[in-house]
Amino acid sequence: MFNLHVAFRFLREGRSQTALILFGITLGIAVQVFLNSLIVGLQRNLIEQTVGSSPHLTASMPDLVPSPLLPAEDGKPVLTRVVSNEGNVKPIRDGAFLIDQLRKTRAFTVINPVARGSGFVLQGNKSLPIVLQGFDLEAADRLYEIRSRVTSGRFEVGGNKVLVGKELAAKLRLDIGGSLRITVPSGATDLFTVGGIFDLESQPVNETWVVISLARAQILYGLEGGLTEIELQVDDVFSAARQAKDLRRSFDGLQWLSWQETNAALLSALRSQSSSSYMIQLFVLLSVTLGIASVLAVSVVQKSRQIGILKALGTRTRSVGRIFIVQGAVLGLAGSLLGTLAGWGLIKLFMTLRTSAGGAGLFPIRVEFGALAVSVAVATAAGTLAAFLPARRAARLNPIEVIRNG
Amino acid sequence: MAELLALRNIEKIYGRVVPIPALRGVSLTVAEGEYTALIGRSGSGKSTLLNIIGTLDRPTSGEIAFDGRDLFAQDDDTLALFRNRSLGFIFQYHYLLPEFTAQENVLLPYRIFHGRAEGAVVRRARELIDRVGVGRRMNNRSTTLSGGEQQRIAIARALINNPRLILADEPTGNLDHETGEAVKTLLREINREMKTTFLVVTHDRHIAAGCDRVVEIDDGRIVSDMRTADFSEDENWRRLAPCHCRERRDGPSA
Repeated sequence: MFNLHVAFRFLREGRSQTALILFGITLGIAVQVFLNSLIVGLQRNLIEQTVGSSPHLTASMPDLVPSPLLPAEDGKPVLTRVVSNEGNVKPIRDGAFLIDQLRKTRAFTVINPVARGSGFVLQGNKSLPIVLQGFDLEAADRLYEIRSRVTSGRFEVGGNKVLVGKELAAKLRLDIGGSLRITVPSGATDLFTVGGIFDLESQPVNETWVVISLARAQILYGLEGGLTEIELQVDDVFSAARQAKDLRRSFDGLQWLSWQETNAALLSALRSQSSSSYMIQLFVLLSVTLGIASVLAVSVVQKSRQIGILKALGTRTRSVGRIFIVQGAVLGLAGSLLGTLAGWGLIKLFMTLRTSAGGAGLFPIRVEFGALAVSVAVATAAGTLAAFLPARRAARLNPIEVIRNG
Repeated sequence: MAELLALRNIEKIYGRVVPIPALRGVSLTVAEGEYTALIGRSGSGKSTLLNIIGTLDRPTSGEIAFDGRDLFAQDDDTLALFRNRSLGFIFQYHYLLPEFTAQENVLLPYRIFHGRAEGAVVRRARELIDRVGVGRRMNNRSTTLSGGEQQRIAIARALINNPRLILADEPTGNLDHETGEAVKTLLREINREMKTTFLVVTHDRHIAAGCDRVVEIDDGRIVSDMRTADFSEDENWRRLAPCHCRERRDGPSA
């Protein structure tokens, strides 16, 4: 209690010194907060762009493995002819049951059953490769956000009505009501009508996607009510890999792939970016800590008279140490509070400058309360830690030295 | 009068490589309520002795009993508590904390022990500051006070916890003659009013002559121990005159 009082009084009386070190801590923490928010914002944006409108988890049937009809027995050579079954689609037969089970876990925000296949659009001499997306339109919209990006026509499929991408429509000079002839690998050909044109802001998608109803695709590809894939989204994108592992255990007949497995390069880039950012933050924090330590070390020398007299008057060794520990903690806390405030200001400034310079913001930076709280807590702990050496020195100071030398 | 302090054969040797003895076997008893002067040349060991009695320093050998309790058998924390509860210090250079006001300085010893100071003790602090004659400036920052005022505040601070023994090291050594006289008178009055035991290290034979008892130290030993009441004023003056307290007041302290 009294130690606290003395600590505050020492800080208050050492005005310029306290102000300088506070400024230093503020600057350091501001940079740390700014850098952290920038990197986190950048990464979140990258991930959002990568997985925001795509499945986090995909279930499909594993490809058939070519195998001989007669298994080889030990020591007896068997002559077999293995027929590759490439191109054979093995559908998910129990899709409805599976979707029901997945829905019950309540772990997924989107469950999108898909019957997908390749094909060609034929028009005169033109033959354009396409991807036929057999969608349950409502579920698919939650994943791909198609409805809001339909540029003309209506957001509906059914019968032979389809939605086509902007580029494809342009290439084929198709408009609403126009017809297109589609051939699938099995040889089946059918005539479809354009019901709507969408723009999903991606050239390959706009060039190749033809969205048809799930039922129509199942018939076209002879899936007999089966699905080629089930696409899932989860709340926390980073939980996808763990979910995939769980799902592999529960439904081991299927092949489960998380977005992390299909985007390993991106993730490793993000990781190295994170670690370099942490490195910088660590060094910033380290210099803040050293700053506090050196200021307190100087303060112990400056206040040696006061320490001596306090000890002569009966302050215990531990209490003397505490006076400086408290100063370290207070400097760390106050400096980091100011620093997070300044860092927040810096981010605001950065956003304003960037929007005014380049029009639309490149990516949003969100300041997270949790991250700020961590910064404050870590800086306070660092300040306390920094005070240990000076505090020990103060505690060990012999009052006699001061009293004898005046 | 009851015995408050008993020193038995105190020795203090400084330095390890070249031992320099500062005290060579000092034995002394001080009675409760006694006002004793400790005189001697610079380097005679009187300040060393005072610091050892004040438990700021430990003797190389020997014992000190305070009220029958062996002081140096205690650990540092217990000694800190002892200093806080039973001793009052008045130093030559006043040693107020510049960060605090006069009143806060007076309350320091109380707050070191109790944490907060409220009500009765604050009133007592004010009374003490009034008593030492700095009442008008008790809320001033201690650095704005004059030397005499600071020393008076230090006296009030030494008294706040009602100590059994007050140790004063050259209390007037840093003050001009007139102020020194006033402080000297004040200490004597407090001794009479509050029955506090005083041990005063001094160069000043005016102070020494006004004490109950004068102990002279030379080269780490007690060389004379006299009671002023046993002699006439002139005789005391004569006896003190040849002692080694003729150095300038602002001279070095031992």
